[in-house]
Amino acid sequence: MDETKKKEQATTHKIGIYLWIWGLLFVLSFFSYMVDWYNFQGMLRWSLILIFMFLKAGLIMAFFMHLFWERYALVNVLLWPMTAIACFIFLMVAEFEYTVFTRIFYFVTGG
Amino acid sequence: MSDPKIEGYVFKPGFSGMAKDTGSDQTMFKGVHWGKAMMWIFLLSDTFIFSCFLISYMKGRGSTLVDWPYPSEVFGLHVFGVDVPLLLIAIMTFVLITSSGTMALAVKYGYEKNRKMCGWLILATAIGGLTFVGMQAFEWSKLIHEGVRPWENPFGAPQFGSFFFMITGFHGTHVSIGVIFLFIYAYKTFAGHYDERKRGWFTTMKGDYVEIEILGLYWHFVDLVWVFIFAFFYLW
Amino acid sequence: MSEEYNDNKTVHAQSSETISGGTSGVAPDIDYVRPAEIPEQDLYHGHSFITKWVFCQDAKVIGVQYFLLATFTGIIGLILSWLMRLQLGFPGAAGFMTAEHYYQFVTMHGMIMVVYFLTALFLGGFGNYLIPLMVGARDMVFPYLNMVSFWMFFIAVLVLLSSFFVPGGPTGAGWTLYPPQTILEGTPGSGAGILLMCLSLILFVAGFTMGGLNYLITVLQARTRGMTLMRMPLTVWGIFTATVLAMLAFPALLVGALMMSLDKVLGTSFFMPTILKAGEVLEYGGGSPILFQHLFWFFGHPEVYIVALPAFGIISDLISVHSRKNIFGYRMMVWAIVGIGGLSFFVWAHHMYVSGMNPWFGFFFATTTLIIAVPTAMKVYNWILTLWRGNIRMNTVMLWCLGFIVTFVNGGITGIFLGNVSVDVPLSDTYFVIAHFHMVMGIAPLMVIMGAVYHWFPLVAGKFLDEKLGKWHFWLTFLGAYSIYFPMHYLGFIGVPRRYFEMYDSPYMTSAVGMNEFISLAAFLVGAAQFILIYNIIRALKVGKPAGHNPWQACSLEWLTPKVPPEHGNWGDRLPVVHRWAYDYSVPGAKEDFITQTTAPSEVVDTGVEKT
Repeated sequence: MDETKKKEQATTHKIGIYLWIWGLLFVLSFFSYMVDWYNFQGMLRWSLILIFMFLKAGLIMAFFMHLFWERYALVNVLLWPMTAIACFIFLMVAEFEYTVFTRIFYFVTGG
Repeated sequence: MSDPKIEGYVFKPGFSGMAKDTGSDQTMFKGVHWGKAMMWIFLLSDTFIFSCFLISYMKGRGSTLVDWPYPSEVFGLHVFGVDVPLLLIAIMTFVLITSSGTMALAVKYGYEKNRKMCGWLILATAIGGLTFVGMQAFEWSKLIHEGVRPWENPFGAPQFGSFFFMITGFHGTHVSIGVIFLFIYAYKTFAGHYDERKRGWFTTMKGDYVEIEILGLYWHFVDLVWVFIFAFFYLW
Repeated sequence: MSEEYNDNKTVHAQSSETISGGTSGVAPDIDYVRPAEIPEQDLYHGHSFITKWVFCQDAKVIGVQYFLLATFTGIIGLILSWLMRLQLGFPGAAGFMTAEHYYQFVTMHGMIMVVYFLTALFLGGFGNYLIPLMVGARDMVFPYLNMVSFWMFFIAVLVLLSSFFVPGGPTGAGWTLYPPQTILEGTPGSGAGILLMCLSLILFVAGFTMGGLNYLITVLQARTRGMTLMRMPLTVWGIFTATVLAMLAFPALLVGALMMSLDKVLGTSFFMPTILKAGEVLEYGGGSPILFQHLFWFFGHPEVYIVALPAFGIISDLISVHSRKNIFGYRMMVWAIVGIGGLSFFVWAHHMYVSGMNPWFGFFFATTTLIIAVPTAMKVYNWILTLWRGNIRMNTVMLWCLGFIVTFVNGGITGIFLGNVSVDVPLSDTYFVIAHFHMVMGIAPLMVIMGAVYHWFPLVAGKFLDEKLGKWHFWLTFLGAYSIYFPMHYLGFIGVPRRYFEMYDSPYMTSAVGMNEFISLAAFLVGAAQFILIYNIIRALKVGKPAGHNPWQACSLEWLTPKVPPEHGNWGDRLPVVHRWAYDYSVPGAKEDFITQTTAPSEVVDTGVEKT
């Protein structure tokens, strides 16, 4: 790409969108802090934490890292490998539950 | 970002566009700079590193029979006679998000070839990052002072200390590397390397404001990881 | 460094007038190829000996450097295997051999062969040399990073080998490095040895990441005009997919190695449970040894395919060239490679059936393991169907290819045994497992490497290797390798456990003493046979027959450079323009039995060539 093409390509986004996302990130961080402040427990706590976390991560990736504007070829290349991580997480949850079970079974209740 | 103009190539949106891009010759990511593609793939690899850390943390915390310390209290601060839970962490999060915002704006001004604005914003980001590292050092020293060690801690399971120092240490290393590069890039921006298209130190590629975006991707990634650490380590 | 670049030396190559390599002035429409999207790459040309041959930024030189260093470490691995076989076949024959030494040799042999030999050789060696040539790039996209990648590998090898000379010697915990034994006293090399191993692995991963980013971006973003992904030779597909796996799997190894070092140095208990040693409770407690196994095999199973996929790709090309037929089911082959790559992240715990993990996992992982056999089997069928009624040249390269197919099928079938939990449980930790993985990821990829060396040596050096020596090399290796590993299956069935220093008079072993000695003798022979290749290479460099341009009449781009061996920048003044896939062999009606990738469609209109 020569200079002229480069200029055509360099379309940027309005500053407003960045400020909006910036503000939203502060608000969401504040909310997740409030989860701790009000000491929610149980499922409510965990689901709120996860929702705010994924919202924040999504906003950062989509707008600050420009993934929202990127072409699908790039987006899909980046997101599909996460299925391997998801599988790993899922199986490790099953694994630590089993480890706890064996530890309680053999060490606490004495087999 | 938005589709560049490429001679002899008509862009399509969505998944049919993805099929067309993938099936085309020369490049798969149309109009994406080599360095930017590299940074994305590197970040993907780095995501796997942090995921492995956090998965190990989950497995370690889940399978220990000793009580896990209550993070809200461990990381709380005692200010003006009141105990505020997670105060330092909240400020750190605030600082890191602030620096992420300034970085996003720096990328925008870089593409608009606004040298001064871009440089100042990068500098602001670097200072934000430096503040974050400083506060992390404070947090570490406070915990060490309270007797938390990688191999033990007075509040409960010894794995708490191990995972805490390892994961925040690895993240802090990323932040520190980012800060160093932010200062270098701030210098390069102010010196006009990107306007003059001057070649870099270890590369034959010509300087371009896209390098600010590449650095920005790294910095946002560091912020992104912090979002996950904040949720899983401090709030959970 | 001097600031000299070939700045815009080749501007005309980008302009849309030079659309094809055709002879007529105006190119017809059917030859139209989209103009270049990206400007020419600026290259740094070295001038001194140091910048040309040591800290070189030319991917071809880096490839050869990787090849030589990986071969060097591979020979060390080979010598270690000799020492092991000496002890196993003839206990006590080597006076210095203690049980500690034996375990250290087992460990280093495994780690060297898998990571520092096969991975480095396929991806670093063949990847660096072939990717830019095959996709029509001038070089890797980040030459400086590429150079650093090799030197990181060099340091990693130095660190690894230095562990032979530290107090306590190298680690002897087996190449899987399972804690808690790895870092507890009593295991050989549990002090400095294991730390150096972890450090070396971390360095290797860091260096490999630099190289891997290069391979990926070169394939994705720096192909020449007309080179679509579905026109790439399968070699590039194999190396590309393997690199993707490496980029996503090595992180788990890095994390595992880091946590293990912390357990050793700082006394953390990531992997260390409460341990009683000689009646005393150790400081460790509460950690999870099985976590390391999961991390290790989350890396370890993709690692198997990191070695296998480049081998699959290379063998496809060799078979196609030397049987003068297009590869059967090219698209199926590509999707099989991609499918195997994707699935390889979901099968890891089939290495852990007897580890005491959650018993339900056996069901999940046996299923995924058997699913991954499907694309693998498809590939084997396609190789055989490519050979079917081909115009086969029975040269050394083809012999290695046939050897590979037989060996791979053999190792693959025993893999189906071991993928099933109920069969694996009695067979695990016996010689059956040794035989399985040496067949499938030791001997089979090695055959591909040998075939590839005989195939591409004329490109790298411009001279042929000697065919007669090559055939001796092949038959000694092939028959010798089967003499080693076939009896091992039997040893496994009668229950001989692996990783035992000496069998003494154990009842299951006494019946097979002769067989064990025979295996050792065969191992000495096969190892020695490899030096035929080294002699062959040195001889060919001195007195070999000059190969000239495209000696195998191949279609793919790497043979079409203006100079053989290709010089820095690969393509002279103008980049090649690609019009077809790499497999147009024996096209009906064509003048010759191959149509190169750069041949314009207007030159072959009267032939039966298909649009690809």
